Amino acid sequence: MSSVIQVEDLHHTYLPGTPFEAVSLRGVNMRVDEGEIVAIIGPTGSGKSTMIQHLNALIRPQKGRVIVLGRDVSEESLDLKWLRSRVGMVFQSPEQQLFEQYVGDDIAFGPRNLGLDRSQVRQRVRQAMETVGLDFEGFKDRLTFSLSGGEMRKVAIAGVLALQPQILVFDEPTSGLDPETAREFLARIREWHSRQRLSIILVSHDMEAVALLADRIYVIAEGRSVREGTPREIFSQCDLLRGCGLDIPQIAQVMYGLRNRGWTVRLDVLSVFEAEEELGRRIDFARPLAEQSCEPVQPVR
Amino acid sequence: MSQYSPFGSITIGQYLPYGSLVHQLDPRAKIAIFTMLVAMVAFADSYAASALLLAALLVAVHLSRTPLRFTLQGLRPALPWIAIFATLQLLFYRGQYGSGTCQDLWRLGSFAITTCGLRQVGLMALRLLGFMLLTSLLTLTTSTTELTHGLESLLSPLKKLRFPAHELALVFAIALRFAPTLGGELERIMKAQASRGADFGEQGRMRFVQRTKNLLPLLVPLFLSALRRAEDLTLAMEARGYTGGKGRTSFIEFKALPRDFLVLALVTLFCLAIVLSDLRAIDGFIVDAVANGAKGILSLVAH
Repeated sequence: MSSVIQVEDLHHTYLPGTPFEAVSLRGVNMRVDEGEIVAIIGPTGSGKSTMIQHLNALIRPQKGRVIVLGRDVSEESLDLKWLRSRVGMVFQSPEQQLFEQYVGDDIAFGPRNLGLDRSQVRQRVRQAMETVGLDFEGFKDRLTFSLSGGEMRKVAIAGVLALQPQILVFDEPTSGLDPETAREFLARIREWHSRQRLSIILVSHDMEAVALLADRIYVIAEGRSVREGTPREIFSQCDLLRGCGLDIPQIAQVMYGLRNRGWTVRLDVLSVFEAEEELGRRIDFARPLAEQSCEPVQPVR
Repeated sequence: MSQYSPFGSITIGQYLPYGSLVHQLDPRAKIAIFTMLVAMVAFADSYAASALLLAALLVAVHLSRTPLRFTLQGLRPALPWIAIFATLQLLFYRGQYGSGTCQDLWRLGSFAITTCGLRQVGLMALRLLGFMLLTSLLTLTTSTTELTHGLESLLSPLKKLRFPAHELALVFAIALRFAPTLGGELERIMKAQASRGADFGEQGRMRFVQRTKNLLPLLVPLFLSALRRAEDLTLAMEARGYTGGKGRTSFIEFKALPRDFLVLALVTLFCLAIVLSDLRAIDGFIVDAVANGAKGILSLVAH
């Protein structure tokens, strides 16, 4: 499988040589393969946002290499428009970047910047709107600023999807959404991914979202990549994550609690469904719980 | 420097808490001195006066322990403007300079470069440098809290004339407080729009209409966010019982020390000395000396 993104020993310092100098990245390594969903988790200020801004050359590498789709982003001759149409960047609270009066025009901003003609732009806007679940005819002439927060976020995301990128980067996609909308949104990301073989990078504090979507996880702390692995591998290292100021998904916490009370249950469960299966295997629901003895186990950690 | 950090290179308005002598001065004294020196720099009409003022400023910068290089970096964004003004002044300055007569160096129709124009341009550059140094010195060594309280305290005698000193200081404080916040916001929006293929100022420098249009994707979200912040701030202030300046006491009380008066007196004396002495006379001398020196060097090189 070929990799679409390779980050090698990336360093970044803000305002170097001034009294406000701040080191953000001190050696990040990462690889994203085609069609993969990779999550980046790390505490606030760990450099996640700085790192992802290198992926479409909003920041150029100061030291280290970033290769995106075979091109080195530190190349001066790099075609930025091309790169930015290939790597779609959805920032945190993207609804705050809307500016056009009408929904359709705002979504068309990206495709127009690519220099596409009217019919192509229209086609892309239609597709993008349908992908995020907005009816094209019903919404294209609505006033952008009369929409609800959730609808505005959909419009903003459609604005990025209309570039038809191969790689999508989401920075905290579910922040500020109610649980219902967040769940619906995550389901959509998964659906786009399976339909279009997109490579997706997900930066999030929402461990449930990460557990649900990610194929692989990178843990970043203090500007370095600390650990890499599948969600099962990462989320069974509770101590490591807690040491970084992170946590594991709630359902995994339940399993830890059970294990600490003497139940030999698996710790690497990622969903309520898996937990249910695991518990069903352990507990004979036909007999009252009190009569069931638990197997003796070593205390965890 | 990243092209998306609009205020990354602007050093004015950032406070460096170094605790030097300049930092410790009473902010009211600093504001008074600042006002006085700004006037001095603005009205300095000779090289000698400008040079003296700049020298004094450099001493102050040194005392404040703020890095001069950092202060000068703040000049960089202003350089294109300085160049434009300098060119205009060079081409259109028709005034006299001192008692000396002007000589044409170059003339084409109504455009002319005269020796007077040349001198005037040099003065203007020194003046701008002086302003930049002054403003960044004040803001680098004085926190915004000190500045606004100092301003309010200085203006408070006017309250008897129903002058809204407190409100004015508050407006000033909020403006200063939110400049970096909005700067950060602007950077964020710029990056988001650039990610959608927008292009800022990289091409078509002369196509003003297009360039202005290109700013809309930045200005609309920026204004919206500023309005949103203003609303939040209003709510937060009212929720904490803010009802305006009337009967409001301050947490910060300034107490002027003898050294504040001493510094103020010294600076006043310095300014008076510059105003009263005939520095333009020295100026002609300096200019002549420089010209003679240049001639000397040229003839040396020629040999």
